[in-house]
Amino acid sequence: MESAFRRGAREGVRDFLPISVGLLPWAVVTGIAMRSIGLTELEALGMNLLVYAGTAQLGALPLIAAGAPLWLIMLTALALNLRFVIFSAAIAPLFAGRRWSTRLLSSYLLVDGVFAICADKAVTSDDPQWRWGYYIAPSVFNWLVWQLFVAGGVFGAEFVPSDWSLEFMVTIALMVLVLPMLRSRPMLVAALAGGLGAVLLRGLPLRLGVVAGIAIGIAAGFAAEHWQQRREAA
Amino acid sequence: MTEGLWLWLAFVLMSMTTIGTRGSFILLGEKGRLPSALQRALRYAPAAALSALVLPDLLLDGATVSPFNPKFAAGVVVVVVALRWRNPWLPFVLGMGALLMMRKGLGW
Repeated sequence: MESAFRRGAREGVRDFLPISVGLLPWAVVTGIAMRSIGLTELEALGMNLLVYAGTAQLGALPLIAAGAPLWLIMLTALALNLRFVIFSAAIAPLFAGRRWSTRLLSSYLLVDGVFAICADKAVTSDDPQWRWGYYIAPSVFNWLVWQLFVAGGVFGAEFVPSDWSLEFMVTIALMVLVLPMLRSRPMLVAALAGGLGAVLLRGLPLRLGVVAGIAIGIAAGFAAEHWQQRREAA
Repeated sequence: MTEGLWLWLAFVLMSMTTIGTRGSFILLGEKGRLPSALQRALRYAPAAALSALVLPDLLLDGATVSPFNPKFAAGVVVVVVALRWRNPWLPFVLGMGALLMMRKGLGW
């Protein structure tokens, strides 16, 4: 009989497969984008291995290109990774009883797509072996596919003519990431306030305008949500 | 451009934000709970951050605000394409196509 772990692994990969297809252009674009700002192949692959967070990598590239200070690069990566704090809180019960090293590896591997498939059924499952298989198999699968296709972009970038303004791919990628988030009004307010704040405060030294914009955006979104709720209650 | 040892240090620091955020509650185990007000505020961080990176690139020409530039026009193309079609490659192909056409074809 098939073990619960293997059954979970098979079902997890099957549920994750459609999501992973949408991920392929991201991986290729991330690879090309890292090269477009001037990282060597080794640096690009190293960044991808260490950071393993597409959004944070793409977001940090303009700052790295501009020679921004390290703490600003880190703070921006942190802002782009903050959603994982929420995911982590939601998915933590899945790892009940697991060793610390297992939890550490699982943390590194946690990505949006795997969280999306695990969020409801795997977290509430009573079978620790099944839910572990359901988490770890698509996570490892995603890691392999991501590393492979990013490498494809990294080594393919040199075949693209250098006067093609490829760095604009970073901006396109960031736009495509933010658009689906803007379905609610507070989210739209947060994005507009954050973006316009960064534009208006562009004169601040050390590219601090970006961090100031992020803070303004979070505050504006939170305030907009508050007002919306009060209006609905009235 | 950040280079050499500083660049690798930047990667390590970024890596710490990856592990730190993803591992926050997974590593804490069942001990931690996230205050709900904080959880609600954090939801706005990604949209604010992405937009704070995108809008300056689209709206600024050097240091001055000028919405009439090839990048902004290409940005409009990306928004329309991304909202209209679900194909994940299309915004990249048509957005880059629009930018290249304006820069090279029209010399803008």
